Amino acid sequence: MVRHDVVVVGAGLAGMRAAIEASRYGVDVGVVSKLHPTRSHSGAAEGGINAALGNAGEDDPQKHTFFTVKGSDYLGDQDAIAVMCEEGPGDIYELEHMGAIFSRTDDGRIAQRPFGAGGAPRTCYAADITGHVLLHVLYEQLVKSGVTVYEEWFALDLVTDGERCVGVTAWDLVRGGVQGVEASAVIMATGGLGRMYRGTTNAYACTGDGMSMAWRAGVPLKDMEFMQFHPTTLKSNGVLITEGARGEGGYLRNSEGDRFMFNYAPNAGELASRDVVSRSEQTEIDEGRGVDGCVLLDLTHLGAKRINERLHGSRELAMDYAGVDPIEEPIPVRPGSHYHMGGIDTDVWGHTLMPGLYAAGECACVSVHGANRLGGNSLLETVVFGRRTGAAAAQDVRRNGSGGVFSPSAAAIAERSIGRMLDTNDGERPHVLRQELADAMYDNAGIFRSAEGLEACKAKVEELRERYDRGVVVQDKGRDFNTDLIQAIELGSMLEMADCLVTGAIARTESRGAHSRLDYPERDDEAWLRHTLAFYDEGQVRLDYRPVTITEYEPAVRSY
Amino acid sequence: MQVTLKIERYNPEADESRQETFSVDVVEEATLLDVLDVIKDEVDGSLTYRKSCRMAVCGSCGMRMDGAAVLACKTPMRPVVEAGEVPVISPMGNLPVLKDLVVDMEPFWAKFRAIKPYLDDGGEEPPVKEWRVQQEELDRVMTEALCIQCGCCVSECNSMEADPDFLGPAALAKAARFVNDVRDRGGKSRLEIYNGPHGVWDCTRCYFCNQRCPKGVHPRDAIAKVGAAIYQEGMHSDGGARHAKVFVKSTHQTGYLLETHLVPETVGPVNAIKEIPFALRLARAGKVPNPLKPHKAKKLDEVRKLNKLIESQEQATLEAANAGPTRPPADPAQSKESE
Repeated sequence: MVRHDVVVVGAGLAGMRAAIEASRYGVDVGVVSKLHPTRSHSGAAEGGINAALGNAGEDDPQKHTFFTVKGSDYLGDQDAIAVMCEEGPGDIYELEHMGAIFSRTDDGRIAQRPFGAGGAPRTCYAADITGHVLLHVLYEQLVKSGVTVYEEWFALDLVTDGERCVGVTAWDLVRGGVQGVEASAVIMATGGLGRMYRGTTNAYACTGDGMSMAWRAGVPLKDMEFMQFHPTTLKSNGVLITEGARGEGGYLRNSEGDRFMFNYAPNAGELASRDVVSRSEQTEIDEGRGVDGCVLLDLTHLGAKRINERLHGSRELAMDYAGVDPIEEPIPVRPGSHYHMGGIDTDVWGHTLMPGLYAAGECACVSVHGANRLGGNSLLETVVFGRRTGAAAAQDVRRNGSGGVFSPSAAAIAERSIGRMLDTNDGERPHVLRQELADAMYDNAGIFRSAEGLEACKAKVEELRERYDRGVVVQDKGRDFNTDLIQAIELGSMLEMADCLVTGAIARTESRGAHSRLDYPERDDEAWLRHTLAFYDEGQVRLDYRPVTITEYEPAVRSY
Repeated sequence: MQVTLKIERYNPEADESRQETFSVDVVEEATLLDVLDVIKDEVDGSLTYRKSCRMAVCGSCGMRMDGAAVLACKTPMRPVVEAGEVPVISPMGNLPVLKDLVVDMEPFWAKFRAIKPYLDDGGEEPPVKEWRVQQEELDRVMTEALCIQCGCCVSECNSMEADPDFLGPAALAKAARFVNDVRDRGGKSRLEIYNGPHGVWDCTRCYFCNQRCPKGVHPRDAIAKVGAAIYQEGMHSDGGARHAKVFVKSTHQTGYLLETHLVPETVGPVNAIKEIPFALRLARAGKVPNPLKPHKAKKLDEVRKLNKLIESQEQATLEAANAGPTRPPADPAQSKESE
């Protein structure tokens, strides 16, 4: 049993930024993470981070706000978007002062390039390894701050005293055994859930654990049906090729060599928003103008020098995982599940509806991305709302002191449930269910959706949840470093979150952003300009809705 | 395609080691990590290894294939299969094994923490906006910034095998990333950490780290950069630095490396006396050249020419490095805009 004033679960960009900020308020901070911090998936972000610095052309936070609102297909809360866009530049400068190595303009300022649907060259970048650079810079600062990190502790459940969150239980992966982690404030920063889809850009760790912990504890999840498909992922294993490749001038071509994007987005072309580009690619592929299930990302005209300077990492990925050198020939790419817009419902300070529980980053939904996130806005969200959430949690702790009582039985309950999993000898192996889930989600809850497909998907998810509840077999019976056990628990999280996603998608009878219904092709503001809330109801998903906050920008037709 | 692996296994709870052979069918483009995944899913769920990003950026899956460190996710198996090989997969070296292919990374991170792994702002108030820094200045640390802390270099480090306290290639590459960052104010106090015992001078220059790094960080080159910075600061008193100086002097004077001079001049006459028994044992084994016989290379002038050439090249590098501002201007953006 350990205790800290503030406990952060997850140590990617949002989690580390929250921990660093909270520690600045003089409270005792602990971080619990199933991975060592630098192994977090934030490090895989390539292209960059948006902020209206105006270093590469006219820009201002209002413009950033407007294009983010438009990109969200008007589902984003405009007050939250304004906070992110106004505070963003300050956070970028702070990262730079911490030592982040941003690429530079000729006069030594932070360089910026255009990203899809941004309306200005606003994306700051460190070549094409921006997430890596930021993740390591924040880890450096975390080490400097002296915050305690419990590496390779897998958070299992939130612990509440009936009203407020008082900590978490966690499985110590290295030594085995459940640990109680008591806290006056718990910040969830556990990242996304892309692994429930076949062909994802996401790391193996992105299994929605934090969202499912919050959901089971009664905290609503917001806009879960919105899953972004990134237009340029490699066929073999879904590895991401950055949007920066198109930001630097890359073309998308079909089998006939045409730059087809101008048929779908006459003005923006390749740099339309991600949902638009992904749908266009899929349409090309479906209508027989694909190349082996892909379209072609052509960078050859950029030349070796530019590719090596700005897209070195992407070139390496293409060579390693597609056997293609982009200097010589185009890269076959296809849309792949990439970023989950929904998550734990929070306000602009990371508060959830449960006192003592906060959330930030991809596991949270403030909401700044609405129905479709713009490239470069996710890294920004992690640092802006990571910082704000860390500050809010620390201030609340200082104001209110410690909260409720952490029942010692919490760890014992968790220990028993793990024991049951380890004792199960008859049943299916988790990977069988995982594969069926990934196929069902990709086939039926993907880029294009319909009532028929979604209902089939829901039935499949319910069936898989039943099979899971009957008990899956963990073959590793040991307690030390049992990754077989962890993968089985992660599967449980994914199944619950898939249920929330699909249930929300069935109900939303319109097309908005990344949620594209073939049977309801139009956006329906009258009925659906509202957030979906998914509640836990005796193991099932109960939906409710909440209005979208609109301040300045009335919903308008969205075209690129 | 059919892939066969021999995997070194270790079960900590039974304290039991064994080698086990697995053979599985995988897709053509499968990486080593993909093969391990298939084994874990379909053959033996207790096979244990770390993984996460599967795109060579998170640094989780460092391990050894036939004794050489690799990232499993960056290692395609097709060439191995086509060569008809059955590789041995084992955990990384120089770190304690926890279970199967998983090592305890804490000693690795302890060294990371020991090198002051963050930008030292010297307590100065930063500018309102960004530091003005030229791209070329940042390029000087970009190679080291590629490091993902996977530990492959440490696994292969010969010096660390002899001295487990050696800071090692990963931590020292991280050090170089700050030493050559124009925004860093660490100066001498930072370099003192790297100049001390178990620091840069412990490297034996075997270059295995350069060879095995999966991200092209070139840790040995980074160590050389740190050593150069130490020299530039005039910090010559450390045994390691003196050793390097005597090395150069000896080759300059004789064209050879004279071990009999190297020891006394590096550690001093008093400490050299302590080494006499060791020297005698070496002599008995025929490992010491006759100290009385003059040693001089036949073509000494060629050795000296080489020395000169290297010196002039290094001088040019130093001058180029010093040409840029050593500190970024406080905030030209602000002052310009207020004009």
